[in-house]
Amino acid sequence: MLPIDAAAHSSRWRRRHPVDKAVLGFGLTALALCLPPWPGAALVALTALAVLLGPAGVPGRRLWRACRVPLGFCVTGAATLLVQVAGPEGFLSLADDGPARAGEVLLRTSAASLGVLLFAFTTPMSDLLPRLVRAGVPAPVVDVALVTYRMSFLLLDSVRRVREAQAARLGHTTRAAAWRSLASLGATAFVRAFGRAARLQDGLAGRGYDGALRVLVPEAGVSGRFACGSVALLGSVTALTFVLEGPLT
Amino acid sequence: MSPVSQETGQGASTIHEVLERVCPVMHIAEGFLPPAHAVAWGVASAPFIVHGVRSLTREVREHPESTLLLGASGAFTFVLSALKLPSVTGSCSHPTGTGLGAILFRPPMMAVLGTITLLFQALLLAHGGLTTLGANAFSMAIVGPWAGYALYRLLRRYGAPLMAAVFFGAFAADLSTYCVTSAQLALAFPDPVSGFWGALGKFGSIFALTQIPLAVSEGLLTVFVMRLLVQSSRGELVRLGVLLPGGRAGTGKKADSGAVA
Repeated sequence: MLPIDAAAHSSRWRRRHPVDKAVLGFGLTALALCLPPWPGAALVALTALAVLLGPAGVPGRRLWRACRVPLGFCVTGAATLLVQVAGPEGFLSLADDGPARAGEVLLRTSAASLGVLLFAFTTPMSDLLPRLVRAGVPAPVVDVALVTYRMSFLLLDSVRRVREAQAARLGHTTRAAAWRSLASLGATAFVRAFGRAARLQDGLAGRGYDGALRVLVPEAGVSGRFACGSVALLGSVTALTFVLEGPLT
Repeated sequence: MSPVSQETGQGASTIHEVLERVCPVMHIAEGFLPPAHAVAWGVASAPFIVHGVRSLTREVREHPESTLLLGASGAFTFVLSALKLPSVTGSCSHPTGTGLGAILFRPPMMAVLGTITLLFQALLLAHGGLTTLGANAFSMAIVGPWAGYALYRLLRRYGAPLMAAVFFGAFAADLSTYCVTSAQLALAFPDPVSGFWGALGKFGSIFALTQIPLAVSEGLLTVFVMRLLVQSSRGELVRLGVLLPGGRAGTGKKADSGAVA
């Protein structure tokens, strides 16, 4: 299981309905995009961080591991905004408003990511996917997504083991060997995925499979209090942004 | 004693470490695009995804057993993007998998499988994002597969050998994915002086340095994988329409009533 999903399964908010957490997490993401980056996105990021580390109980170390790589690439992407092309000072020169634009993008990206991570760190995919049918996603698409989700872990584990076996047999010592190992890894993944699907199909056929994959979903109801509290928090962040926007800019 | 990786000199990697090598450069990060652009790319992607969803729904209703094969295809696409790809310049990245996926499963199906993969990457790995799902799906699940598949079909129609067509299909799919991503970023963040074209040059030159060699690498890898698949999984390739029942390479039309078309 992947770390974010594993954390979601043991989260304090695991038993809450996904809609509760979606209102809060995706609401914060929407605010990060729609409010002015300064101070709006900064306030959203602080709020999301406080909820993640506080009531949601996500360990800081896990959170950092999850967001450090994407954040690194956001920094790289934002760095391109620091320069301008074909200006009066030469082909490539520093842009006057570059630092401000880069800072705004970084603030917005960080805040929006933390909003989504709040949802991801508290909602296991196995709770979310079956409920998408009620949200209007066609059942066959949800079934395919469920099979993809469950099979991905098994396949990733197989790929890891094959890779280790290849390394133990000096399969990565030379460039040619590395290419050969990688190609056989890709082909093995294909063969194992389709072999597993065929075996699953045989097993389900023996149990009277009629085309619908029925799974048990933990019972949970939407909490009016939680949703109202989330909306109140989002409203407070919005109001505070507009109050602070004048003095801080 | 745990096996020692010859590349890093460290102990055996965990699943997360394998997946951390998934380079998110190919995905636009959460919140990176302004709201109007995020919505616009979502709207642009919607017809292709809806078309793919309708194809998938029809396929599953006619052949219920296809659910498992399509799920396996989605898992394969997800795992393929986690493989570490040595570049011809010495650096490393990962294959987009869109070229191989499009040749095996067809572009409409890849629009759905690619979007599901992007959704999982956004929620399980924090790579890409939900607000940028439309933009990322447009580049990786729509333009990449269609460009790669179009070139593959064109070359096959004019009698090119299967492996040559596979190489150029995978090369075009990889490169077009990054070209579209560059254009998306340039539209969102035009250069203060030279506008869209200056920004396209900036983002394009950053991608070109790494992505042209990587597109060559992905083309080569796809050829190697396809050669192994022809030897080991001829039945599945026939079912997918890549090979004809007699063993000859197909031109892309579905050979029988296989699960994925």
